[in-house]
Amino acid sequence: MLDLFDQVNDAVEFIRGHWKETPRAGIILGTGLGTLVDQIEVAASIDYADIPHFAQSTATSHEGRLICGTIGGLPVLAMQGRFHMYEGYELKKITLPVRVFKAMGADLLVLSNACGGLNPNYKLGDIMLIDDQINLMGDNPLIGINDDRLGPRFPDMSEPYSRKLVDRALRIARHEDIVAHKGVFVAVAGPNLETAAEYRFLRTIGADVVGMSTVPETIVAVHAGLRVVGFSCVTDMCLPDALKPANVDEIIAIANAAEPKLTKLVMGVLAEEQG
Amino acid sequence: MEDSQPLDAALEFIASRWGKRSQYGVILGTGAGDVAEQIQTDIVIPYSEIPGFPNATALGHRGELVCGRLANANIIAMRGRFHLYEGYSDQQVRFPLQIMRALGVELLFISNAAGGLNPYFESGQLMVLQSHVDLMFRAWKQPTTITTAGRPRTRADIYDRNLIQLSMQHAMSNDFVLHRGVYAGLLGPTYETRAEYRFLRRIGADVAGMSTVPEVVFAAGLGMRVLAFSIVANVAKPDVLEPTSGQEVIDAAAVAAPRLCSLVVNAIQHTQ
Repeated sequence: MLDLFDQVNDAVEFIRGHWKETPRAGIILGTGLGTLVDQIEVAASIDYADIPHFAQSTATSHEGRLICGTIGGLPVLAMQGRFHMYEGYELKKITLPVRVFKAMGADLLVLSNACGGLNPNYKLGDIMLIDDQINLMGDNPLIGINDDRLGPRFPDMSEPYSRKLVDRALRIARHEDIVAHKGVFVAVAGPNLETAAEYRFLRTIGADVVGMSTVPETIVAVHAGLRVVGFSCVTDMCLPDALKPANVDEIIAIANAAEPKLTKLVMGVLAEEQG
Repeated sequence: MEDSQPLDAALEFIASRWGKRSQYGVILGTGAGDVAEQIQTDIVIPYSEIPGFPNATALGHRGELVCGRLANANIIAMRGRFHLYEGYSDQQVRFPLQIMRALGVELLFISNAAGGLNPYFESGQLMVLQSHVDLMFRAWKQPTTITTAGRPRTRADIYDRNLIQLSMQHAMSNDFVLHRGVYAGLLGPTYETRAEYRFLRRIGADVAGMSTVPEVVFAAGLGMRVLAFSIVANVAKPDVLEPTSGQEVIDAAAVAAPRLCSLVVNAIQHTQ
């Protein structure tokens, strides 16, 4: 992990060449949820391919650009398109942008993902605020010699997602009449979706939704000392006793339909970051 | 066929410094300081001097092989262990165990400091490992050739039942609490989230930690008997979870250290 520090600095130096401001928040958007970027007053848009040490986005419906600008007046950096473990990237590589956000000066990470709903009380298109997570990816982005300049050897994970921000987002959801839950996100490596038996297993161990992202980014954010708020959009109901084949196009359509709700919530959360 | 050259070179080097064999080996984890102190040391060999030996990076771990006598028996102790979260490969974790086996070790003691999940456990108490849940997601490739006359042990008897019984009796007659339970081995280095603690408890784990499972699996594969103890460092209560502090771990270890030492000595006395 000792080369990460220099990689982060290389990337930061390059980005500063295009955008001089200090971001307050970094944003990583999930499958079908990228249109939040339309709300950003774009000052610079940089292809991942141009940024030193950045991976390339290969996943369906993920573009590959870093957007620098302001959202409701707040300076932010947003990843349009994210990296996944199932694309074959090392978790250290996937999470490099989180360290770049931190090094650029951000103290908040906003994450979103499209996920499978395990909790039978959830419905397609619902938003869940991530209260907590279970890592079943079989890997951890912090494995290796720890670089104390980046964070502690053994990060405490008793509150990976800021409770204050969860409450704030839920309050905004109530005001805006948006259905939003609070629950546990479990991450698996993928890329295959789960079997009915695996859905039963994940529900049994306490998960409300399942996905293939977010957990690595959150671990690194906690390591780096960023506050995290995470939004899961239920794009597929995974009820093991009534399981239908998953259709990626449908999943993306549901994500696109739910996107305006997510945008409202993220805008609301960020609006209270002002000042 | 696996390349046995690094192993041979390491064994030759150790033989040049300590010409004995030993039936007993011990991997000293957090809180095993008393065991180390009780050993009448013949020689201390830093890992860095042994050809082919991985270097120890973890803070607070010295990284040396202590060769000497404990309870009138030869013993080899690893002071400083290799954790997967430091980035060591399965093979690197296995290497010292192959050395121990080649030096004659038949019974391996392992200790660790672990987070308690079972609400009946208290900080500073000891648990003898009855079994483990392996959540490390590794293949644990065993050596294709076992260079010594090792008997690969089956899963069912990885943890020696007679020695567990013996340890329970010892604790009872010496009036201290020794739990018997299940250790969940996780990659780390992050501590567990509340949701992960609930998950681990639900699947039957009593304590959780980031070591021991690789050592146990490889020791068993090499034909060694294993007796392993966890010091309960802190008991996680996921519904009122507080940040884990390093000091709590150190305090718990101080209470448990002499008891852990007496358990190791007791097992040696009964197996000689």
